[in-house]
Amino acid sequence: MTKITMGGKQVLGYAGTDSDIVRAVIAVALIISCTLITALSFSRLPGFVNYQLFFIPILYVTYFYARKGLIVAGICGVVYQAIGYYYRYPDPAAMAGVTSEAILFIIIAFLITYFIEQIRAGEAQYRTVFEHSQLGIIIFDRVDFSIQRTNTKIASMLHTSEAALQTMPFTSLFFNPTEKTRFLDSLEKYGDIQDFETQLRTSDGEGCWVNLSWSAMDTRLVSVTIVNIKARKLAEKENYDNMLKYQQLTENSPTGILILREGIIRFINPSFSHFSGYRPDEVLGKEFLGMIDPREQDNFRLFCRNLSGTTPAPGQKEFRLATKSGEVRGVVLFANPIVDHGQPAMMINLMDISVQQRLEEQIHQDNERRRGIIITVAHELRTPLQPILGYLNLLIQDPQGFGILDETKKLLERCLVSVERERQIINQMLDLSVLESGKLHLSYSNFSLASLVKSVLDAGGYPAKSEVTLDLPADLILSADMDRLYSVLDSLLANAVNYSKPPRKIRIFYRPGTDGTTHMISVQDNGIGIADIMITSIFEPFQLADAVKLSRKYDRLGLSLSIAKKIMQMHGGDISVESVVNGGSTFTIHLPRTRPDNA
Amino acid sequence: MHKIMLVEDDESILEMMEILLRRIGYEPVIVPDVREALEQIQTDPPSLVLLDLMMTPINGWEFLEKLRGVYGKKDLPVLLFTASPSVEEKIDQLNDPWLGVLQKPVSIDELRTGLGKFLGP
Repeated sequence: MTKITMGGKQVLGYAGTDSDIVRAVIAVALIISCTLITALSFSRLPGFVNYQLFFIPILYVTYFYARKGLIVAGICGVVYQAIGYYYRYPDPAAMAGVTSEAILFIIIAFLITYFIEQIRAGEAQYRTVFEHSQLGIIIFDRVDFSIQRTNTKIASMLHTSEAALQTMPFTSLFFNPTEKTRFLDSLEKYGDIQDFETQLRTSDGEGCWVNLSWSAMDTRLVSVTIVNIKARKLAEKENYDNMLKYQQLTENSPTGILILREGIIRFINPSFSHFSGYRPDEVLGKEFLGMIDPREQDNFRLFCRNLSGTTPAPGQKEFRLATKSGEVRGVVLFANPIVDHGQPAMMINLMDISVQQRLEEQIHQDNERRRGIIITVAHELRTPLQPILGYLNLLIQDPQGFGILDETKKLLERCLVSVERERQIINQMLDLSVLESGKLHLSYSNFSLASLVKSVLDAGGYPAKSEVTLDLPADLILSADMDRLYSVLDSLLANAVNYSKPPRKIRIFYRPGTDGTTHMISVQDNGIGIADIMITSIFEPFQLADAVKLSRKYDRLGLSLSIAKKIMQMHGGDISVESVVNGGSTFTIHLPRTRPDNA
Repeated sequence: MHKIMLVEDDESILEMMEILLRRIGYEPVIVPDVREALEQIQTDPPSLVLLDLMMTPINGWEFLEKLRGVYGKKDLPVLLFTASPSVEEKIDQLNDPWLGVLQKPVSIDELRTGLGKFLGP
């Protein structure tokens, strides 16, 4: 083997020590023979032998060891010159001729060295390209299919070694006989070919997807380049699976799906067809905007613009769409920016909410109607109460004037209590109806809790009915609708008195909420308590029918707790209750420290 | 003695209110016909009008509008006397210092207080 150098560095080949020594001996023998023959020629046979003899050792060494050839040329030059000078001295012309001939040795050796190095460097480059190629390369004989050369890439691709590959015929590499036949047919029919996709067998018996291209190098040899396309095949399979999945999803989706590119409908699924009444061929290629209610078209343009900006993000919005039959239906559009055929597009999922909207509208109307009924009923109930209340007042305030006995007056007073109670129930019914309509607005202010409690106690005369203990911070300021909170406290105190027997004990106490964002104001009594089964229903309006079945004790509960709870919920708070039957109840108001945004 | 005009079309209430007003020291003026009432205010103005809202052929709000507008009685105290809920909001909107409300049914004490606000005790 030769030493192959590129840019002075050894890149390939091996130093064959044995042959080096042999060549060195030959070179020395050649130089000595040349020297003797030339010396003989100069002394005995002038002009018979020329300097060309020395080219034999120079060419010999240069061929094998390009640079060492230069040294040999130098040695030969010196020897030749020495012989020439010795025999020609003092003829100046002859001596000059000998000198120039010696220089010619060096020039020729230099030229040969240069060209040989050029050729070897080129060869080395090609060899490197071949060996290090990222493509597998096999050169095989088209007559017996024996593999002549391989590179490392193909060996690693097939999990084997180059040496192993070179012992087998190329055709044995195909994964199955069908592929082998197909390859032989193609080779026969088309000669050179590109992009022949097939599977080769690896040493462990697996199939490896490759792309083959081959071309004839001469009449016998064929070179094949092999690209591993396993990753691409996997990706293709994945893509295909995904495509199937998406196809099934869109085809079978219960929501309408459409794809828009620059506002033009590119795809609709069966659900959208069903919803809109349009067949695909009727809308594909048309502008989607035309289906949107004219009043909402500007909104839709804006909606699309937000989606197609520099940072497109999904969006959703309600629109009204006109179907083929002319019916306008409410929908929610969910839009996602996608890429369709390499272009930015929009995938829209459409949810038909017309049924939901109709139901909501229905519920709203029903609520309004119910409110209307409650208001009318309240009016009709209040009007006849006026003469009853008026006459009772007259009789009770002037019993002597009307000749009324004390006994009768007591009965009339009981009537008056009932009228008052009925009046209160009607008022509560109206309050609740307003609260439920959401039309009521709280008017917030800052006030002292201690003062509020004091005014509720004084106005309701509670200290006269019960022993009242207060455990409140003197300087705590609340932020809430003061009148509403007053009525909540009054309701809780009234309940505490109504559902207990003397000696009554009421304790009002304050704690900060556990998470620090709320106030907790509790009213504790020593009354009859509330059974577990009733705990939730005491806050429900008109749940008294059930309550009556359970216990007559609750029949005067009315609507005050429902109203109180609603009021606290409007504040972003709540009312909770803990109770022990015959052990008393504790109602707790939870009030946020700061006003919520929607209150 | 203050004259209180009652504009109301429910006879049972008219009858009772007449007695009640007299009892607390006012002179009731009963006018069952709404349009007649407007005329009478021109000729013989009362100290205060107790005005029902649900009446025919013109309702209480229309009555009030005419009274304040065409009849120019801008500072005649009017107490709406009604069983209809949620009139407060509308009253707030009108921003009329001589307008108040008494929710039916009204007790004798409430009537006394309500009238006293405009007429003094």
